[in-house]
Amino acid sequence: MKEKFKVALAQITCKRGDKKGNIRKIEDNVVRARKQGAELVIFPELSVTGYVLRDQIYELAETIPGQSTDILEKLAGKTGTHIVFGLPELSDKTQATIYNAAVLVGPDGFIGKYRKMYLPTHSVFEEKRYFRPGYQTAVFETELGKIGLIICYDIFFPEVSRLTRLKGARLIICISASPVTRRTFFETLTTARAIENTAFLAYVNLVGIENGLQFWGGSRLIGPNGKVVAKTKYDKEDLMIGEVDYSDIKPIETFVPILKDLRPELFDKLKENAEKL
Amino acid sequence: MELTSSVLDLNWSEVETKIRYFIKDYVEKSGAEGIVLGLSGGIDSCTAAAFSALAIDGEKVFGLLLPEQETYNTQDIDHAKFVAEKFGFKTQMIDITPTLRLFYNTIPVFEIADKICKGNVKARTRMIYIYYYANRLNSLVCGSSDKSEVMMGYFTKWGDIAADISPIMDLFKTQVRKLARHIGLPKEIATKPASPMLWPGQLAEEELGIKYETLDLILYGLEHFMEPEEIAKQLGLKRELVDKMKRRWLYLEHKRGMPLTTKIEYRTVGADFRLPHTFY
Repeated sequence: MKEKFKVALAQITCKRGDKKGNIRKIEDNVVRARKQGAELVIFPELSVTGYVLRDQIYELAETIPGQSTDILEKLAGKTGTHIVFGLPELSDKTQATIYNAAVLVGPDGFIGKYRKMYLPTHSVFEEKRYFRPGYQTAVFETELGKIGLIICYDIFFPEVSRLTRLKGARLIICISASPVTRRTFFETLTTARAIENTAFLAYVNLVGIENGLQFWGGSRLIGPNGKVVAKTKYDKEDLMIGEVDYSDIKPIETFVPILKDLRPELFDKLKENAEKL
Repeated sequence: MELTSSVLDLNWSEVETKIRYFIKDYVEKSGAEGIVLGLSGGIDSCTAAAFSALAIDGEKVFGLLLPEQETYNTQDIDHAKFVAEKFGFKTQMIDITPTLRLFYNTIPVFEIADKICKGNVKARTRMIYIYYYANRLNSLVCGSSDKSEVMMGYFTKWGDIAADISPIMDLFKTQVRKLARHIGLPKEIATKPASPMLWPGQLAEEELGIKYETLDLILYGLEHFMEPEEIAKQLGLKRELVDKMKRRWLYLEHKRGMPLTTKIEYRTVGADFRLPHTFY
C-alpha cells in the first residue's frame, strides 16, 4: 500500500443529460492528470450527468456497475489510475429507486460505491423528491490506503466523515455540487472535517451554471492539520494536483490527539437527544 | 435579525461578476446572437442594458426606446441614449402612439378613463415590439424587473415582466441603485424616482404608498420569515402597513408563475412536470 501519492482535483463543468460528452471530458482529464503523476482523479457530484436534472433523472439513472461505470473502469485500467465520479444510480434490485451515488474505480476494476445519506431538500435543492437516501457510510481498501467517500451536504453532518475515519479512512473524499451562495459554509466545513478527523480531505466541486445556479468550484485537498495542500480556481474549470502523504497524520494526531480523546459515551447521548428535537 | 439598511449591502463586485457570468453563459448556451431589451431610461432598464453590454459586448445588444405621447419624457430619453453611448450598444426609438391609438379605437369596450387597463395596453404593446425585434435578430429578451416590483406584483402580466432572462430580479430596488452606481451609472439615473410610464405623472412610490428604502426592508424581513409585528417594531412603522405589503406579496403570486390548471393527468405543466428551465 502506498503511503504517498498524487491526487488530481478535476473540477469540471458538466453538460446536463450528455453522458457521452461528460465521460469524454472525464477521460480527457484523467489522461492529463495521469501525465502529471496523479494516481487518483476525483470529479464532482453527478459528474456523468450534470446536477440540475429534475425529472430527467428518471431517464438518466443507471445501475452501478453499469454502462458508464464500465467505461470508466476500463479507463482506470488502461491508465492505471483510481477515479471517483458521481452518477444517479438506479437500484439493480428494484429497478425503480434512485440514489445519488459516488463511484470509485481503480486499475483492477470496480472498487465500490457510496449512496448519499443526507439529501438536501430545502432552498433550491430537491434531492429527496428524487433520491432514496443511503444507509451506510463507505470506506474502501485500495492500493492508496483506505478511502472514505461522502457527497456534498453530508459534510454538514460530522458523523458521516467521522464514521469513515473510525472505519480506517485516512483520505476522505467529498464530491460536491455546491452553489456559490454556500461557499463560506463549505470552505469552513471542509477544513473542519479534515482537522477533527486528523485525515486528508479532498473536496471536488462542480463549476459552471445550471438552471441559474452558479457552482463556485474552489476544490481543494486539505491536510490533517487543516492546511490547504492544493486548491483549484473559483468559477472556472481547473485541474490541480496535490500530494497525500499519510506520514503527516501521525505527528498531527500526536499534537492534537482528537481520535485518542474521542468519548464514545457521548455518541449515545447524541442519539438520545437528536430523537427528541 | 436587525433590520437596518446594512442588511441590503452586498459585495457589489461579486454581484457584478455573477450577473455578467449569468448573462454571458445563458446567451452562449442558448445559441442566441444577442440581446434585445426595452430601454425606458429608468434605473432598472439602464442597469440591465449596461450589464448586457458588459457581459456579451455592446455590439450584440440592442436597446429599444418605445415612448408614447402621453408619457413622453425628454430626460428619460436622454438618459437611455447616454447609457447606450457609455456602454457601447445600439438603440432605436419608435413612437408607439399610433399603435396604441389603433388599440384604443378598435377595442369595442375600451374605456379611456380606466387608466390601469389602458396602461397595461401600453406595457403589452412594448412587449410586442421588443419580442418582434428579438425574433428578427435571433436574440434573447433581457428583462429589467427588480425584486421589489416582482414581490409586490407591481408590473403588467405578460407586459414589462415578459423576458427570457431577468438578471437583476433577485435584487431589491435600492440594491439595484447601488449596483448601478458600482458599474458607473451616474447618480442622476441611479436615484431618479421610478415609474412604469403607463400614465402621465405615475410614480411607483406614490402608487405603492411607500418609499423603496422602507419597502425593501419590509420585503427583506418577510423573505427571511420575520413576523410583521417585529418588522413594524424595528422599522417604527404601523403594523397595518407591513400587513398590507405582506398581503400584496402573497395575493399576487399568480402574476409570477405559469397559469394554473387543474390536475387531470399523470404529469401536469406548471405543477409536477418538473424539468430544468433550460437544458443547456
